[in-house]
Amino acid sequence: MDRSDTFDIEFTLNGEAVAATVPARRLLIHFLRDDLDLTGPKIGCDTGHCGACTVLYNGRTIKSCMMLAVQADGATIETVEALAADGEMTPVQQAFHEHHALQCGYCTSGMVMSATYLLEKNPSPSPEEIREGLRGNLCRCTGYVNIVEAVAAAAGKETSA
Amino acid sequence: MILAPVEYCRPDTVDEAVEALNSSPDARALAGGQSLINVLKMRAAAVDLLVDISRLEELKGIVRHDDGTLEIGAGVTYAELAESDLLGGDPRAIAEVAADTVDPQVRHRGTIGGNVCHADPINNFPPLMVALGATMHVVGPDGAARDIPAEEFFTGFFTTAVEDGELLKSITVPALADGTAVGYVDLEIGEAAARAVAVVRTEDDQIAEAKLVIGCLPVPTRRPEVEAALVGTAVTEAAVAEATAAAADGVEPLSDADATAEYRKAVIPVVAKRAVLAAAKGGHRG
Ligand code: FES
Ligand code: FES
Repeated sequence: MDRSDTFDIEFTLNGEAVAATVPARRLLIHFLRDDLDLTGPKIGCDTGHCGACTVLYNGRTIKSCMMLAVQADGATIETVEALAADGEMTPVQQAFHEHHALQCGYCTSGMVMSATYLLEKNPSPSPEEIREGLRGNLCRCTGYVNIVEAVAAAAGKETSA
Repeated sequence: MILAPVEYCRPDTVDEAVEALNSSPDARALAGGQSLINVLKMRAAAVDLLVDISRLEELKGIVRHDDGTLEIGAGVTYAELAESDLLGGDPRAIAEVAADTVDPQVRHRGTIGGNVCHADPINNFPPLMVALGATMHVVGPDGAARDIPAEEFFTGFFTTAVEDGELLKSITVPALADGTAVGYVDLEIGEAAARAVAVVRTEDDQIAEAKLVIGCLPVPTRRPEVEAALVGTAVTEAAVAEATAAAADGVEPLSDADATAEYRKAVIPVVAKRAVLAAAKGGHRG
């Protein structure tokens, strides 16, 4: 069992294999944004409250400001950059666009990740379930009504597709 | 925020984890990290080695033993508790409380072991574990193992009976007796202003046995006088309100960003009453 302040890690990021050397103290969000230039995930609160830094870790949403980069070792990580990979917006992204579900946009990548995860688990959530699914994501512009409408619309699209 | 320099290791077994925890007085177990990472950001604790126990399979089990006792590995996440079929029966309260913990992202990482070991007064599992009569199984160096009743586990503000170099391995929760149910009520102002958990057995619409634990205090606190007053009480709001009126007597809540001590004292009897009524009416949340 190696004990060190620096680690070589390998993981899958947005479908591609990545190898990197990280200090043990590096937070996953700093690693993604500053080392790998993936600026989709944002730092809002830096205390695990706002969800702006939400990414998928082994298929589940987590707050990347509350994990160490070294913990990505061997994992599969997806950021918002994975969503419109071919330039075509996903139903959730399209619905956010159409329902004006963002003002400043700072919370949006986290909201979109949580909404995408929610719809994967529950393809036709009630408004109540949408709010619960987005409970870990705060919008300082407080545009929650449109966000919930966008997710409901995306669900409609996905179920009829 | 940037963490202070720290070393890290990821042991493959509980034995290796305990060994690593004993290799330095400032080593700390890193489970889901949903509290510890913030502690590290604030540099509120001197930690020189993080022992990552988040992938230890030995801490991941949820087992229902033949006598109905439930054994939960310390590394089981809230999401895993909420989704477990084994928690479908009693005490269902564990799954329900897990499902309502903070938010999906926290539930995907945070663990029941981290929740009880961090022992933040506002954490939701400590009063539930005390009310359910859980036992905490702690391991130490050279194969040492200790069983600590939940009632003795929480020793103070952010402090438990787990000593340096020890690790919480699992928690066992006895099956509830027939006719018994759990009521769990919290007042969510900010994170939590007040919380009460009641375990109540009823017989012919009367309370035959009751346990009442108040949370959001420096340690989860049983109220034996109130428990005694509840026995023989009819399951009506008026009768239960009278018996729980003294639920805040002598307790000393904290003042924090969520609520003042005075406010907490005022609402403790209210959540206590609601928890007892919820339990007496068959549980689980009121
Ligand atoms: S920046 Fe991670 S939760 Fe706010
Ligand atoms: S759109 Fe500005 S924070 Fe949500």
